[in-house]
Amino acid sequence: MNFLYRLPFYVLEVPNLKLKKPSFFVKPSAMVVFSMVLLSYFLMTGGIIYDVILEPPSVGSTTDEHGHSRPVAFMPYRVNGQYIMEGLASSFLFTLGGLGFIILDQTHSPSMPKLTRILLISVGFISVLVSFTTCWIFMRMKLPGYLQS
Amino acid sequence: MQLNKATAAIAANPPSSGNKKISFFDKKPIVKQVKSSTLTNIAGLNSLITFTVLLLAWISGFASRLFAVIRFESIIHEFDPWFNYRATAYMVQHGFYNFLNWFDERAWYPLGRIVGGTVYPGLMITSGSIHYIFSSLNIPIHIRDICVFLAPIFSGLTAISTYYLTKELWSAGAGLFAACFIAIVPGYISRSVAGSYDNEGIAIFALQFTYYLWVKSVKSGSIFWASMTALSYFYMVSAWGGYVFIINLIPLHVFVLLIMNRFSQRLFTSYTTFYILGLLFSMQIPFVGFQPIRTSEHMAAGGVFCLLILIGTLKYLRTFLTKSEIKYFGGIVTGIAIILLTVLIGLTYAGFVAPWSGRFYSLWDTGYAKVHIPIIASVSEHQPTTWFSFFFDLHILVTTFPVGLWYCIKHINDERVFVVLYAISAVYFAGVMVRLMLTLTPVVCMLSGIAFSGLLELFLKEEDRDENSGLNASEEESEEEQEKSPGRALYDKAGKLRRMKHEKPKGNGDGLGSNVRNGVVFFILVLLMMFTVHCTWVTSNAYSSPSIVLASYSNDGGRAILDDFREAYYWLAQNTPTDARIMSWWDYGYQIAGMANRTTLVDNNTWNNSHIALVGKAMSSNESAAYEIMTSLDVDYVLVIFGGMIGYSGDDINKFLWMVRIAEGEHPQDIREGDYFTERGEFRIDSEGSPTLLNSLMYKLSYYRFGEVKIDYRSPYGYDRTRSAEIGNKHFQITYLEEAYTSEHWLVRIYRVKKPSEFNRPRIPISKRQIIRQTSSYISRKTARKKKGYIKKRPTVIKGQKLQKRIST
Repeated sequence: MNFLYRLPFYVLEVPNLKLKKPSFFVKPSAMVVFSMVLLSYFLMTGGIIYDVILEPPSVGSTTDEHGHSRPVAFMPYRVNGQYIMEGLASSFLFTLGGLGFIILDQTHSPSMPKLTRILLISVGFISVLVSFTTCWIFMRMKLPGYLQS
Repeated sequence: MQLNKATAAIAANPPSSGNKKISFFDKKPIVKQVKSSTLTNIAGLNSLITFTVLLLAWISGFASRLFAVIRFESIIHEFDPWFNYRATAYMVQHGFYNFLNWFDERAWYPLGRIVGGTVYPGLMITSGSIHYIFSSLNIPIHIRDICVFLAPIFSGLTAISTYYLTKELWSAGAGLFAACFIAIVPGYISRSVAGSYDNEGIAIFALQFTYYLWVKSVKSGSIFWASMTALSYFYMVSAWGGYVFIINLIPLHVFVLLIMNRFSQRLFTSYTTFYILGLLFSMQIPFVGFQPIRTSEHMAAGGVFCLLILIGTLKYLRTFLTKSEIKYFGGIVTGIAIILLTVLIGLTYAGFVAPWSGRFYSLWDTGYAKVHIPIIASVSEHQPTTWFSFFFDLHILVTTFPVGLWYCIKHINDERVFVVLYAISAVYFAGVMVRLMLTLTPVVCMLSGIAFSGLLELFLKEEDRDENSGLNASEEESEEEQEKSPGRALYDKAGKLRRMKHEKPKGNGDGLGSNVRNGVVFFILVLLMMFTVHCTWVTSNAYSSPSIVLASYSNDGGRAILDDFREAYYWLAQNTPTDARIMSWWDYGYQIAGMANRTTLVDNNTWNNSHIALVGKAMSSNESAAYEIMTSLDVDYVLVIFGGMIGYSGDDINKFLWMVRIAEGEHPQDIREGDYFTERGEFRIDSEGSPTLLNSLMYKLSYYRFGEVKIDYRSPYGYDRTRSAEIGNKHFQITYLEEAYTSEHWLVRIYRVKKPSEFNRPRIPISKRQIIRQTSSYISRKTARKKKGYIKKRPTVIKGQKLQKRIST
């Protein structure tokens, strides 16, 4: 055994190397990992792959009865289609809602002054509420019969 | 306090259960329950609640999947389920071994299909064995009903396995939340409504259960659990091609754990056991065969296996080798790894190891399918996902998903690494294909369960503390338990922050009024209620259509059933010879085989691209070119779906461009996609459309005689309601085919292909016409003047001569 792994080194000379972990490489902290994940989640739910493959315009346009062209933010009636901006807007809302829930959770630490805590709770509350209702409105724009029948 | 403790001690046990009590996770209810009723056994109560919640989740999940059955009838849906149903019925009728050897000559004419070797048989075996059990109990039940209700029943099992998985990852409360979510979330319902008898229905259960067993085996490090994981993996392999997800995710988990320096004996035992057993098991499925050692999709698992063994050896050697010797050894290890990698690359290059298959490759290079494999890109469920699908299928869970992820990353341990990896990879895959939303849904439910459970625990617990205005009893309780089992304090339990003595809040120390907390809790409950409303609405409106029977609603609420598909398929079954060969686009292959029981050329098992391209070429060529292809393929009937009459958008004209593209891929010299567009690059069917389109077979078959039809007073003749245009080619005749049948709403049109003798008669001028008669044939002597007929070979009686002789001359 001893001989076996010595064997190559009768021929080879072991170079005097010192390998160090590069200093910029540190194990990322949990929050760095999470923010990267959240960023990719933001892009994914915004349908970034759809945008890359099918290359829709960022905002659509339509012609009204007078012949003027008006911008349209949402591609209506099309479940499998989107414009780039509407995807980003709604995925922003999803992320906002998620952050709101996280803020609600963060109010727990006992050393926090009362005012800050109430402020945080209301911020979390409002962002969840805003995200939810706006998504609701988006759905109604996208699918006009939503929750109607 | 002392009194309180004493009561608890007495109330809680029958003394034998004293130890059991310690194993509870949530201690809050214990104290409460003890106070309220001293008679109930707490362990029993806890499991009763769990049982009730899971049962209710099962029932409500089952019930909400029944919309289609209640509205229409107990019928198999869509396309693929028809094949699964046909195969199951065959298996039940002829036995399992005949099923494995079944050569189906009615599909892919003239090639045929070896069904036993090209299906994942898990679905058929599952429903077949259920049928067997029922019939051996003398309960007569039709196999169709088992097939229809299989997916809803399995959704309950999915909920239960999700509960166990989440319980392993976080806590029982989160598990209950997750189970309730997955029972009704639309992303999963979309594949498991009653009648949608497809592989995914049982595969999600197998997926979740395998993951549960895997997490369990990583936690315990026992060979038993690892073998169970391999068994469950075997079931998954037999059920769905998505098993590739498992065999890549679990090695990824191991790999990341190694990178995070979390190697342990438990990990080593469980992964090596799982990999070897799982490899052997998966190779037992005929359809999978030697793929696990021969294709690149499975190579990562093998690589991680080798890596794990190397690291295990290294750790072992480190126990008795000196540091410098280890250094040499490390060099050898690296060398071996590099050699193995080059060997792998060499084998791939030489063709022994198959490179990634197209479907798999298109997950990484997202534009790949669009350029190279139009047949994959053509399937609507392979389209990339938009934001709408995320919200539509997951609703509020889409926002709480990151929260659960945050909890998991914050309190990371071995098994939470797994769920984080699962979440990230599933989000990516769901973004690439709408269909893979299905694999994202379970993990979203789990993480949202964790998020909701964490939040509610937070806000409800403080409320509790306020109510017990004295120092909270639970802390005392847990301390008491600590004394009983001293080792317990060494483990961190998830979701529960153990406070140090000095951090304990002093009575009213946290400045939140109960109003705020009540508000937040109420708000969360309202959100959850909206979620259920949304789920029910989506299920009822979007995912419960059998797509074989269509329903249209009039303004006064009346409902009209359009049953054209079955009408036409039954026409085929009744009025065509049994061996008639029917050409249609591949979408309808399984339905024709299942309902009309006739031979098809191509079907939804799209294994032969060139055959499909040939059909696409026939559909997109002009009539005479198409006729050559059709005669060479022995086609008797052609079936097209036409939605222009009733405004059905999923018809063949809308799919036509894909036919052209697929045909172009194989026959680029005959078919060019550009010919089917107008000069401005539009796809139009009106008079401005390109002439190639207007003369293609598909166009003619769809719009034959449609120019004579006026739908209502305002629209012109031949007005296509689906594409809202007046058709461009109205008055034409078709030479080589004849209309055989058109269903009531023109949805299905069937044409008979004429034999060459029926039309192939060149016109000859009258002067050159020759009438060839057989010389011996009889010519009537009856002319216009001579009306009187006579009897041929009438015996003429001549006196003095015998009758017999006369006749013989």
